[in-house]
Amino acid sequence: MAWDGKTARRVPAGQEAFTRQPVPRPDGDGPFPPLPPTDPDDPMSYTYTTDLAAIRAVVHRYAIQAGLTEARAIDLTLAVSEVAANTVKHAKSPGSLKIWYDTQEIICQIHDEGIITDPLAGRRQPSLDALGGHGLWIVNQVCDQVEMHSDETGTTIRLHMTLPRADAGH
Amino acid sequence: MWYNKFVDLLTVSVTARESAGEPYTLVEIAGEADVTNTDELRRLLDEEVSQQPRTLIIDLSGLRFMDSSALHALLRVNRSLDRQGGVLALVSPQAAVAKILRLTTADRLIPVFDSVADAAAG
Repeated sequence: MAWDGKTARRVPAGQEAFTRQPVPRPDGDGPFPPLPPTDPDDPMSYTYTTDLAAIRAVVHRYAIQAGLTEARAIDLTLAVSEVAANTVKHAKSPGSLKIWYDTQEIICQIHDEGIITDPLAGRRQPSLDALGGHGLWIVNQVCDQVEMHSDETGTTIRLHMTLPRADAGH
Repeated sequence: MWYNKFVDLLTVSVTARESAGEPYTLVEIAGEADVTNTDELRRLLDEEVSQQPRTLIIDLSGLRFMDSSALHALLRVNRSLDRQGGVLALVSPQAAVAKILRLTTADRLIPVFDSVADAAAG
């Protein structure tokens, strides 16, 4: 596989039964600032409905391929699964997942038509007695950076994990 | 064996056992537990809780993944057992499952053991 250093690398597609489609770019206003633009060369895109195990397998594979340790790959897989679980619970249409990475980090971006109204969703630790609300909190705990944008067209959540090689450079 | 049920990605087996004359219920959960099969998991666990076991041991060694929905199902079992004077214990979580238990501090609420024998001995 070719490594071209600066730009996000194309990662080879596996045998997973997903369709590749463009993911809508987040924009619009509301309580959330727009996400900073990214320009991944050629991200892998998947759509999902309830096939979360397949999504987890894909994320774990790319996380290892990008260079995350097994423990951190597990973290990213858990985070993506929690966000995608929100799609299953709250959105009435399929979600989409984009994955890309470069030498610095791996990013998973999940978009669905669900709407989150609280910009601080997932920032406070829920009590263990709470009947829900742990999902986004867990996401914020395990990822290095979480960006979220939600408006009337849907929600986009971008999860960043710094790669070990980038850490070693500091 | 009372039953062995395969639900999507999840296999749940339940057996009645005994340790030093004390009966306990052993539930083995294998596969992947997430929001897509939590309802079924909850239903199966509720059935066991309704039998009012003194000790319910859930062996997680075959469970590759658990999300917060499945965790809530376990927390619910813990609360229900607690209310009826029973005890829940978890056994041998794999790395991904141990992570969510630790992160949410659920492992401080529900005792986690290395083996079923250890859990049964209390």
